[in-house]
Amino acid sequence: MTHPGDITRRQLLRRIGITALAAGPGAGLLAACATAGTGGEPSAAPSTSLPASADPKNPFGVDAQKPLEVVIFSGGYGDAYAKDLHEELYRKAFAGVTVKHTATQEIGTQLRPRLIGGDAPDVINNSGPKSMDLAALAAEGHLADLASLFDAPSVDDPAKKVRDTITPAVLENAKVTGKDLVLNYTVSHRALWYNAKLFAAKGWTLPATWEEFTALGETAKKEGILLFAYPGQKGPYYQFWNVLYTAAKIGGNQVIIDIDNLVDNAWNAEPMKRAVTVWADIQAKYGDKAYFGLDHTQTQIKQLQNKVLFYPVGSWIENEMAKDKPDDFEYAIAPIPEVTGSDRMPYGAIQVGVGENFVVAAKGKNPQGGLEYLRLMLSKEGARGFTEKTKNVTVVNGAAEGVDLPAGLMSAARAQDRAGRNVITEARFEGWYKELFDYGTEQINVVMAGRITPEEFCANLQKKADAVKKDDAVTKQTRSS
Amino acid sequence: MERLRRYGFVAGFLAVPLVLYTVFVISPYVQAFQLALTSWNGYSSIVRYVGLDNFGRLFQDEVFWRALRNHGILLLVLPLVTILIALVFAFLLNLGGGTRGAGMKGVWGSNFYRTVFFFPQVLAVAVVGVLFQAVYRPDEDGVINGVLARFGVDPVGWLIEPDLALWSIIAVMVWQAVGFYVVLFSAGMAAIPKDYFEAAALDGANRLRLFFSITLPLLRDTVQVGWIYLGIAAFDGFALIQVLAGDKGEPDGATTILPITIYNTAFSYQKVGYASAMGVALFFLTVTFAVLTLRTTRRERVEL
Amino acid sequence: MAPREIERPRFGVLNGLSHVALAVWALLIVAPLLWTFLASFKSNAEIFGDPLQLPGALRLDAWGRAWDTAHIGRYMLNTVIVVLFGTAGTMVFGSMAAYVLARYRFPGSRLIYYYFVAGLAFPVFLALGPLFFVVKQVGLLNSHVGLVLVYVAYSLPFTVFFLAAFFRTLPEAVAEAAQIDGASHTRTFFQIMVPMARPGLISITIFNVLGQWNQYLLPLVLLAGDPDKWVLTQGIARISTLAGYEADWPGLFAALSITILPVMIVYIIFQRQIQSGLGSGALK
Repeated sequence: MTHPGDITRRQLLRRIGITALAAGPGAGLLAACATAGTGGEPSAAPSTSLPASADPKNPFGVDAQKPLEVVIFSGGYGDAYAKDLHEELYRKAFAGVTVKHTATQEIGTQLRPRLIGGDAPDVINNSGPKSMDLAALAAEGHLADLASLFDAPSVDDPAKKVRDTITPAVLENAKVTGKDLVLNYTVSHRALWYNAKLFAAKGWTLPATWEEFTALGETAKKEGILLFAYPGQKGPYYQFWNVLYTAAKIGGNQVIIDIDNLVDNAWNAEPMKRAVTVWADIQAKYGDKAYFGLDHTQTQIKQLQNKVLFYPVGSWIENEMAKDKPDDFEYAIAPIPEVTGSDRMPYGAIQVGVGENFVVAAKGKNPQGGLEYLRLMLSKEGARGFTEKTKNVTVVNGAAEGVDLPAGLMSAARAQDRAGRNVITEARFEGWYKELFDYGTEQINVVMAGRITPEEFCANLQKKADAVKKDDAVTKQTRSS
Repeated sequence: MERLRRYGFVAGFLAVPLVLYTVFVISPYVQAFQLALTSWNGYSSIVRYVGLDNFGRLFQDEVFWRALRNHGILLLVLPLVTILIALVFAFLLNLGGGTRGAGMKGVWGSNFYRTVFFFPQVLAVAVVGVLFQAVYRPDEDGVINGVLARFGVDPVGWLIEPDLALWSIIAVMVWQAVGFYVVLFSAGMAAIPKDYFEAAALDGANRLRLFFSITLPLLRDTVQVGWIYLGIAAFDGFALIQVLAGDKGEPDGATTILPITIYNTAFSYQKVGYASAMGVALFFLTVTFAVLTLRTTRRERVEL
Repeated sequence: MAPREIERPRFGVLNGLSHVALAVWALLIVAPLLWTFLASFKSNAEIFGDPLQLPGALRLDAWGRAWDTAHIGRYMLNTVIVVLFGTAGTMVFGSMAAYVLARYRFPGSRLIYYYFVAGLAFPVFLALGPLFFVVKQVGLLNSHVGLVLVYVAYSLPFTVFFLAAFFRTLPEAVAEAAQIDGASHTRTFFQIMVPMARPGLISITIFNVLGQWNQYLLPLVLLAGDPDKWVLTQGIARISTLAGYEADWPGLFAALSITILPVMIVYIIFQRQIQSGLGSGALK
């Protein structure tokens, strides 16, 4: 086992909460990943930005008479964190105010007509498979500028600005076509997840090279365990991510950045082909085709039953499966093994990113209230409560301190610590060009099942990327690093 | 005076349905037809007209053609199989018991069967989808594969083999639809005068002959209605496919039917204009299908 | 008489075969439903274990969760109200329109008939966006009244199509006799034609009840802003998605059972009426 084990719990928490994406060397890398598209001039949208008032208790001048409407995507995190916590904080701040709470899984289906029809709710948790196209919303001025939020005094320390209490990656990811329009609230760690207790019991060590990985596959096979599986239904994008991250490990983050920027032939780059090839090989030799027809829960249950060794996913899995997790199962994160022997990123690189989008409607009835609601979410109390309720870490620095974090999150923090500056970047085209991403999640099953070759996979995606590039109905975005 | 009363009556009866229908059905559809000529993305306040560009794009869109092909299969197979099974069952349930006493009757227990067969109709698509996910599970924990495993058969990937998936889905739709058509055809059969059968039975016709020479011809109208409705029900297949196979018509687009493609194009990819063009194409296809069906099956109504 | 003697044993074989076919189909229907019901008592591990296994214990907690999270009770009531008025409205207006279009010749009657029937050929969800604004403009958004009117409107095409065909098959003589007796057109319709068309009306009523009961997209968009007014399909979709995120599969199957059972009971209670209504046709 490669756990150093000498970091104290407190250090870990600090790493997750404070230095996670901030001051560490990895942060510099993430911080550079801004959308460069329109030059990134700050808050240049007078129509959607709100003047900050002088009162640090009520910087946006919220009118307590005005009701606030919050719509939450009720997914992996549920909606209790909003209903029982953040909305309560808002009610406490403005006595007598009414807060309307709606939870839905169909964000886009329900809200698109309301936004266009001028009946927008104030705070929208734009997540899930039916989430809305933020670039399209931004183009119509539906999204309030969050620059004033980031520049507002923090709830916990009025001397500090909100932007100084959160990880910088939030500020980078806030940009939609150059403006600060979206707040990412959670931090997640993605790589391969496994059962640390099983490894300890069997005396196995984490594979650092692809040879060790396949050798472990043989060993596991004899025990009736699959080396690797991903859910072919509803969750093939887990494997799509995995292949993209593997490509970034082989060829550096530039591989993903080029893909995001729709650079010609980005999909046909050698690292991409190599990544697809090695994973298709793993599937052919150590996989089971039944998983093409299982969804994420079914696959995750199989892993809990020790039928699957490695599973490509993010740190939210621990909370997702908390109810079913037996005592002899302990979630831990494993980096992607070294593929070529000369990968651009060394062994240990994992993906760390921010997620769970919140936006404030600019043309809603109470945009001030919406901004204030987000400010309360970003308070220590709001963030710590979120972590307590969902066992997931937020972007608020140090807010997780004192919270009893489960083993998997601790493992993720240790992994991040070891990764240092080798943090794999997230693929932004998932949000920018959904059609391309969806096509990829469909094609990944095809190539993993062996019905097309890795070369065909890359060629197909390149063709789709070219089509998106040509399609002038699609708003283009770019990133410089 | 009578003429006036007549028109007054006609107008009175048609007014409310026409207004409701025009306001809530036709006016949205007319807007959708207009959108087919635009590049609207579902959000923007400025709608740009692109003429017939969207229709031109359809011709080069592989996904569209694949969806069209699958839709065609569905449109043909679903009604055919459903009606066939429903006719046989309806016949057995109503007339399968042979001649006894005053007339024809169904096989023993026909009431029980009729009730049970109808059950799937009362299930919401979401329910059916979740149910058959468990039934079709590709490992030995699936309901079908679990049974197969007892006979030593390897698990079958019902929904993950591109050659199998669409058929598995059609099977579910047939499973759900048969019951209603059994009841529908039963009603039709009950309306056939008993003496027809008695006379034929006296002539020594067996049940197969009764079915083909009396039941089927006299049920032609009912069958035709059933056929058209099933063709339209194929639209609803999209919800089932979304739940069962995945919202992109997995695997490899083998279960993509037009409504799936339209839905994704409009709501996932924000190309509402283009999706509307697909919808318009689908509209004309369906109309053609309906007209052709009516043409080829039209004949003099059997006088009772 | 000789051929009949020979045919007897063949009747026996055929009888046996038909019973096998019917029994197999019945099993195909009952088995999955029974499985759903049993799964609501299982644990996650059992659900994903051997499908032919019975639940290890009678766990009722999933039913409680399903009732709470999916708000089944309230949604059921909403659904019953909407479907009741929706179907009633559809039947009244649909049969009126169908009758006039089937049995009265007037300029444009064919055109109006096809105008109605054309509505069958377009996928509902493409109208969703524009429909939202139409309903908003008439001020019926997030109201059951609005949803009922929309249900009626969207059920009209098939209802008119089906009933017009049915009214056409009814004999002229009875209506003519009534007219000669001095009955008005309206009276002829309600007192003579409707009773005669009973089998057709019952079939299409069942059809509309089922269609409206299972409707998902229309309430999703038209009731978006008011969860208290949601219908059952929205509750099911909610708990089904939640099951995926929270891995509460027993809860999902319990919710499914809760929604299936009452519908089945209602159907079993009324199936006699439905079938006798269908059977005792006025067609003679």
